[in-house]
Amino acid sequence: MSNPILKVENLHVNFNTYAGTVQAIRDVSFDLNKGETLAIVGESGSGKSVTTKTLMGLNAKNASIPDNSRLIFKDRNLLDLKEEEWQTIRGNEIAMIFQDPMTSLDPTMKIGMQIAEPLMKHRKMKKEDALKRALELMKGVGIPNSEEHINDYPHQWSGGMRQRAVVAIALAADPEILIADEPTTALDVTIQAQILNLMKSLQKETSSSIIFITHDLGVVAGMANRVAVMYAGKIVEYGTVDEIFFNPQHPYTWGLLNSMPTTDTQIGSLEAIPGTPPDLLDPPKGDAFASRNVYALAIDSKEEPPFFKVSDTHYAATWLLDERSPKVTPPVQIQKRWARWQEIQGQEA
Amino acid sequence: MWKYIFKRLVLLVFTLFLVTTATFFLMQIMPGTPFNNPKLTPEALAQLKTTYGLDLPVWQQYLNYLVGAAHGDFGTSFQYQNQSVSMLIGQRLPVSAQLGAQALVVGVIAGLFMGAASARNKNNKIDGTLGIISTLGISIPSFILGIVLVYLFGFKWPLFPVSGWGDSFSQTILPTLALAVSPAAVTTRFVRSEMIESLSSDYVQLAKAKGLSAKEVVNQHAYRNSMIPVLTLIGPMAAGLLTGSTLIEQIFSIPGIGQQFVLSIPSKDFPVIMGTTIVYSAMLMVMILITDILTAIVDPRVRLQ
Repeated sequence: MSNPILKVENLHVNFNTYAGTVQAIRDVSFDLNKGETLAIVGESGSGKSVTTKTLMGLNAKNASIPDNSRLIFKDRNLLDLKEEEWQTIRGNEIAMIFQDPMTSLDPTMKIGMQIAEPLMKHRKMKKEDALKRALELMKGVGIPNSEEHINDYPHQWSGGMRQRAVVAIALAADPEILIADEPTTALDVTIQAQILNLMKSLQKETSSSIIFITHDLGVVAGMANRVAVMYAGKIVEYGTVDEIFFNPQHPYTWGLLNSMPTTDTQIGSLEAIPGTPPDLLDPPKGDAFASRNVYALAIDSKEEPPFFKVSDTHYAATWLLDERSPKVTPPVQIQKRWARWQEIQGQEA
Repeated sequence: MWKYIFKRLVLLVFTLFLVTTATFFLMQIMPGTPFNNPKLTPEALAQLKTTYGLDLPVWQQYLNYLVGAAHGDFGTSFQYQNQSVSMLIGQRLPVSAQLGAQALVVGVIAGLFMGAASARNKNNKIDGTLGIISTLGISIPSFILGIVLVYLFGFKWPLFPVSGWGDSFSQTILPTLALAVSPAAVTTRFVRSEMIESLSSDYVQLAKAKGLSAKEVVNQHAYRNSMIPVLTLIGPMAAGLLTGSTLIEQIFSIPGIGQQFVLSIPSKDFPVIMGTTIVYSAMLMVMILITDILTAIVDPRVRLQ
């Protein structure tokens, strides 16, 4: 696991708007290993989508990225690439699965052709060969009677089928990194499961790496190897999926886990995180989560917490982990999770 | 598809019947008479009325007109004696239609390019300049442009003939340009807004994520999608242009139908008014039908039935 395929270092993304500079990504670093699935979790406005767009080189024109930000992929800093060079990477080495299958396919182009397009572009295939491969891809993503449907238009297909086509487009050129931006948010629950299973089995076949963007922790548990929790343009906690689910350390992660219904949840007791995310035009001093955090310490509003090491794979940016901080008791739900963590650790030991 | 077109044509005939009826009775309540020469004696007037069947009861006149029209006889002009309306329209409509078709082609093609250029350079200098040009194009009346063109290219730098029709193609250039400016401007603005919408859509994002270049994204995805609403604009625009422009025909001394239609109203030339109205309506409906067929070809979601 020591040879990451993608290294994101000190990523900052600012958007220059009439109102001022929005600091959408404020110093994000992470690694992506070959064949693993990294989930990036956070609520709306936490910077998840900007992260994906930056990884695809598809940010809006008013975005600016400081020079010390680095996206290292195959010994190159992607942020130095010209648009023409980006075009050889997009859809080829790094591909993306979009959120809403109802709007992300071109309504006036045959689906087979839409799947064939990246092949014609990146593999320089002729149209006939590309369409043949598109047919194989359609079968691969489980579209029944693919031969009959290769000349269909998107409106003839259901949402779930269309999302399979979107997956096929992303996989067409056999990318090494697949970015899935909330790929199941727009689908109903049974179809969600089908698409997630499809992605898992395809990942096994191709051993590609997946960056899975979502706000749905339920989906994360089944998909991811590692999880990074984002808040207000920063990663606040990251670790393996078990570490995040059973040994969470950051109060924001606690809040996210608590707001997810489990089998223990009593009727009417679903909790939410109070307040709203901070305005990134003028991010607060110290810990951005402090104002919504019932466990906030005095230092949180003065100084930003560094990452504290929990284990070799698990880090969290909260002052609660500082040895000088008072011991706090997390919510009951989290205590249960910690207890479960002790059991798991005990079994392993 | 053919069944649909047939149905639409039947509907077209029915609509034409309604238009004919409405126009006929509207003309009856129009004050005045076609024969207002003060020198006419009452006997001569009565004679004229008998000749043209105007002494008959209104319902009789209406039936006579319908029967004639159904046989392709639209009567004889009052103004130009012994000229049948069919002949009058037959001579003048092709002139107007040629001019209108040229203006349509020039205007729409210019509009497509300028609109796409504007959208792709949204909010920068190119977009701003094209925005000013298209606003001027919409707001300056075509006859003023006609006069400016005559002054510039007929007088200042005499490159093209400034009047007449049928002798050489160069005669058509100035009136075509004068007539094309407004449709070009309207198309530019429409294409711009449709293209901007299309370029911000999810499927264009996905096309970019496939690694396509900006040019490929526009040509393979954005253009086709933004053309669908533009087609609905071009249909009625075509009908308007093909049926002639009174002012442009006047300025460039073109023997088209536009002039004829306007002149026939104050002179109460009933058969000419009727004939041209029917031609106008038929043109409009045919153009809309063509637009619908084209839309169904471009947009797979539309099925004709």
